[in-house]
Amino acid sequence: MTKLTRRQLLGTGAALGTTLAAGALPRMASAQSGEITVTAFGGVWEEAVRSCFVAPFEEKTGAKANVSLGGPAQWLAQVEADPSDPPVDMLIMTPDLALAAADADLVEDFTVEKLPNLAEIPQQFTDSVKGKGTIFDYGVGGITYNKQVVSEPPKSFAEFVDRVADGEFIASLPSISYAVTPIMLIWAMAEALGGGVDNVDPFFEAMAKMKDNVVFWGGPNDFFNHLASGEADLGIYFDGRTWNHYDSGAEWIDFINPEEGGSLNGVAVQIPKNADPLAWDYVNEILDAQNQAKFAKIMNYGVTNRNVTYDEVLAPRVTPWQKTVFPPYARIIEVRNEWVDRWNREIGG
Amino acid sequence: MTEMTDVSPPRGRTALRPWMLVLPALLFLAGFFVAPLIDNGARSFLGEEGGFTLARYWQLLSDRFYLGVIFETVALSAGVTLISALIGYPVAYFLVRKAGKWSGLVIFLLIAPLLTSIIMRTFGWQVLFARRGLVNNLLVDQIGLLDRPLRLLNTPEIAIAALVHVLVPFMVLSIASVLQGVDRRLEESAQMLGAGRVRTFFEVTLPLSLDGVGTGAILVFMIANGSFVTLVLLGGGLQTLPLLIYQQFNTTRDFGMASAMSTILLVIALVCLWLQLRLVRRQGG
Repeated sequence: MTKLTRRQLLGTGAALGTTLAAGALPRMASAQSGEITVTAFGGVWEEAVRSCFVAPFEEKTGAKANVSLGGPAQWLAQVEADPSDPPVDMLIMTPDLALAAADADLVEDFTVEKLPNLAEIPQQFTDSVKGKGTIFDYGVGGITYNKQVVSEPPKSFAEFVDRVADGEFIASLPSISYAVTPIMLIWAMAEALGGGVDNVDPFFEAMAKMKDNVVFWGGPNDFFNHLASGEADLGIYFDGRTWNHYDSGAEWIDFINPEEGGSLNGVAVQIPKNADPLAWDYVNEILDAQNQAKFAKIMNYGVTNRNVTYDEVLAPRVTPWQKTVFPPYARIIEVRNEWVDRWNREIGG
Repeated sequence: MTEMTDVSPPRGRTALRPWMLVLPALLFLAGFFVAPLIDNGARSFLGEEGGFTLARYWQLLSDRFYLGVIFETVALSAGVTLISALIGYPVAYFLVRKAGKWSGLVIFLLIAPLLTSIIMRTFGWQVLFARRGLVNNLLVDQIGLLDRPLRLLNTPEIAIAALVHVLVPFMVLSIASVLQGVDRRLEESAQMLGAGRVRTFFEVTLPLSLDGVGTGAILVFMIANGSFVTLVLLGGGLQTLPLLIYQQFNTTRDFGMASAMSTILLVIALVCLWLQLRLVRRQGG
């Protein structure tokens, strides 16, 4: 039997430690060798980020942008865990989490001096996250339906509720575990039905009426499965994702922006404090009109640079942000947990 | 091993003690399991403004809604475990005693579903049991047995069925490995002494295989207790602690409450583990 000595063990341990530490080297080196870590959702989102933002950034700066896949809650938790040396140099966030990051003073102020392209983003998008970031693209939460089953779709939230309550359709709605449900469903429907951020009773009353004819989706793909498998006929969903499914061959799917206006569900970009300064160049590319137009074409979502012109395919699909309802994100955050608790008790899982 | 302890190490070197071999695993567990658990537990006692608080635990253990969620979590896991045992035991018995040369195939069929991702399997349930899915199409359009499709998905029953589908292999393999070791001569002796096949099974075979049932029950219970994806996609109104923990992280960002919930989930798992072990040992397994 081969004898292992303590020295050998320590030597092996040191080698292992060195190997493990090497995993951290790219991050340590990034501040010095022109590398940054940027964030993206998976799938087509990642492909769009790489081709529309990463490629021009790398071409212009000669630096490298490593793409970290995940979700806003995860990235924010990572920055919260190590704000002095954030593991990512920019954040893709939902507005509520962007506001949480802003309130925790974890992110930088956005100014035109640092980001020249910010001048072309309507001020409302920057103000909505307290100036500590800005919204660069958005989806509209409206009514997506299966054309083969629903020949005359509801034109408004109110009609949607009535017809689902009557059992004419089975609706698929976002579950309360989906991060933006408080905005795209609770607030949007309450607002459309005569309530608002201070009064969501109309929403809960509507849900009580519809309860026998609704199913809940836990994630966007889940919604598509509900429609594709016939489990639901229509539902509350995003315009961009609807068109992505359409372009992927699901030509039976269609989208309506309700008469009351669907909620604008923005995607914000932020820069953590102590991030690599190259992050400003990268975010400036995100706000660039040409890059945003390309991103919109791939993603089928509206973008916020006012100089963007959509092509003939995209133009009829994108709902201008002025025709959406801009959620009072900051106020929604204040009452969101009460809404979630009420949902749990009245509607269930 | 004797060689290691008997031979003096060269000068300046210290021979490796046996316990040192487990040191890397212990360090790994300490760093990536124990420390996060302690941190998680500590977070649940940290008040909004700092300082110690029991408020979250008080809310979880005094509010009828949360008590209901805790009950539903335990009931779901216990139900899935019981059904898995009822289905799994005959399959394990067949595998060990009857399958013969087909046992390899049976094991493959058991394990095959585990080779695909749990998300894909769950989506498979959606395709099969949706309102216009395969089963309803068969019942309504092909056979004409029903006038309108049944609502099969998004019900607690389908979530339980899907969990059982995923977890039965763990039960079968646990029972089969113990059944394999049961001395057939004991069963033969019982029958020679006049016991029928049924009595022999209940008084000899089953008690001797309870260790396997216990192991399977622990595995199934633990996994069901923390199950998440299946319930998110097929939950149908079920509310369990893992779902609420995810909600606290993803929707409300109340990490303190999520920590308290996860601590309670852990305690439930440990208590049930202890109870199951006691039960199995008392039954003579």
